[in-house]
Amino acid sequence: MNALPHRRIEDWKYSDLRSAVDADVVAAAPTAAWSVASSSGVVEIADLPAIMPRGEHGAMAELAVSHAKTGPYVRVVKGARGAVHLHLTEGGHGRALIVLDDDASLTLQETVQASDFSNVAVEIVVGKNARLDHVRLGTRSDAVQVADYSVRVAEGGIYRAHFANFGDKLSRTELHIALDGEGARAHLSGVSVLNDRHADVTTHVDHATGNTQSTQIFKNVANGHSRGVYQGKVTVRPGANGSDSRQTAKGLLLSEGAEIDLKPELEILADDVKCAHGAAVGDLDEESIFYLRSRGVSESEARSLLIRAFLEDGVAEIEDEAIRASVWQAVEAALTP
Amino acid sequence: MLEIKDLHVAVDGKEILKGLSLSINAGEVHAIMGPNGSGKSTLSYVLAGRAGYEITQGSIAYKGEDLTAMTPDARSAKGIFLAMQYPVEIPGVTTMTFLKTALNAQRRARGETEVDALGVLKLVRAKASALNVTEEMLKRPLNVGFSGGEKKRLEILQMALFEPKLAILDETDSGLDIDALKLVAEGVNALRAPDRGMLVITHYQRLLAFIVPDRVHVLSGGRIVAEGGKELALELEAKGYAHLAKDAA
Repeated sequence: MNALPHRRIEDWKYSDLRSAVDADVVAAAPTAAWSVASSSGVVEIADLPAIMPRGEHGAMAELAVSHAKTGPYVRVVKGARGAVHLHLTEGGHGRALIVLDDDASLTLQETVQASDFSNVAVEIVVGKNARLDHVRLGTRSDAVQVADYSVRVAEGGIYRAHFANFGDKLSRTELHIALDGEGARAHLSGVSVLNDRHADVTTHVDHATGNTQSTQIFKNVANGHSRGVYQGKVTVRPGANGSDSRQTAKGLLLSEGAEIDLKPELEILADDVKCAHGAAVGDLDEESIFYLRSRGVSESEARSLLIRAFLEDGVAEIEDEAIRASVWQAVEAALTP
Repeated sequence: MLEIKDLHVAVDGKEILKGLSLSINAGEVHAIMGPNGSGKSTLSYVLAGRAGYEITQGSIAYKGEDLTAMTPDARSAKGIFLAMQYPVEIPGVTTMTFLKTALNAQRRARGETEVDALGVLKLVRAKASALNVTEEMLKRPLNVGFSGGEKKRLEILQMALFEPKLAILDETDSGLDIDALKLVAEGVNALRAPDRGMLVITHYQRLLAFIVPDRVHVLSGGRIVAEGGKELALELEAKGYAHLAKDAA
């Protein structure tokens, strides 16, 4: 790749990477460092194997793969259960591989230590009837952070993922999901709580086989001079009948200078499918604020209650209670001036 | 308790209330009746302090204080409660959370100690069953998916919980069938007290058969055009508003 993606490339229209980071910095970035901790279960942790599966990735992943010499490999063997905490300790170009064998299940919690620049490509394989619960908790920083996930879900497999973003100088989280077997499901959700920062979540769910299911719920709150972006593409391949996809993307603007861009995109090439999507951006409802105030709630508390209420169904998608609580805690911190 | 004098109110530059005067003493229940567009809801919103209602002339005193200088939340803490004609739906906030937040916000503003979750639950439960507000409703997001009757019952539950000094009921009867109407009226009657004033705003007489007012005022064209005892409501029912408005003019 010669040049960094920029705003004249449709897919990067709202996230001008080229103007956010110097090409020399990208070229000279080291291999990223991770720490991997297994808190329970039977999990193999090793360095990347020589031959890796490769799914669809975004523009920056190629660069990550060619630069990163090694990275973590997490594998849960057939029928086993596990919980892993993956932490990006130092920025640079990184790559990781997560493999769930058939009937395996894993709770994957991902956190990052912000550094000036990071660009990671993560390959995820969810085997037959396996289940991965993935939560990525971002930080608020002045860094440029790109994370690209390619996920393949086999027959009967479930991939649940939540992305909590608090914004960076430029943040791009990209997901490419292939539902590659009957009954495969992907449930994606995310909240972006931004104050003078940028966060872009771009997802592409590919219903490659019939009777597959996907949901996407993304909520953006933007204050100050923030920019929140959600681009959600859903493809239903020819013959992938019985597929079911639902997408909700909502934005809440808290200031004049904030911007939220929501771009749903449906590409339906099969006949017998159920697809529904809705996208809306607005500000806090004055009538609701008045109602709460007429019940004694102060204006600032009313606003704060309504902002949390707006985010609620995004965070509620996280099934693990402890992880959900830690995400709420981070959301609270981001909302507290 | 409430003293409204020569009140003129404009919305978007258009005068809606044109010299309304009304006074309510503690322990009294007053009814305001009037046709659509007479200014009934404007009056209720002005008393609750909604933005966009400009007082161009006149005064409102509540317990001797200038009400118009207070924020909506300060009014609530001082005991003013408006049961709204169209209660708003708030997805993402459960009814129980809302009740706890509101009750404690009012208590905090008055310098009283807050009630913990269990305490609020007990208070709510003690009042909910009489109004047929179910546990299931309390767990749902505020007013979301509630029927018209459920919303009105929840307004009255709030009134019972907050124990206001001045309760204003804006068309609480609209959209209720007779059974729901009786239930709501019983809830309101249970709150009649020597230290509490009530203002019942309605288009129809039928609510006043169950909540019997001490005084009835007829609002037409932005001012009170007739006043009397409870029998005035019956007269209105028989003869209609046009007739009274004409007499007054």
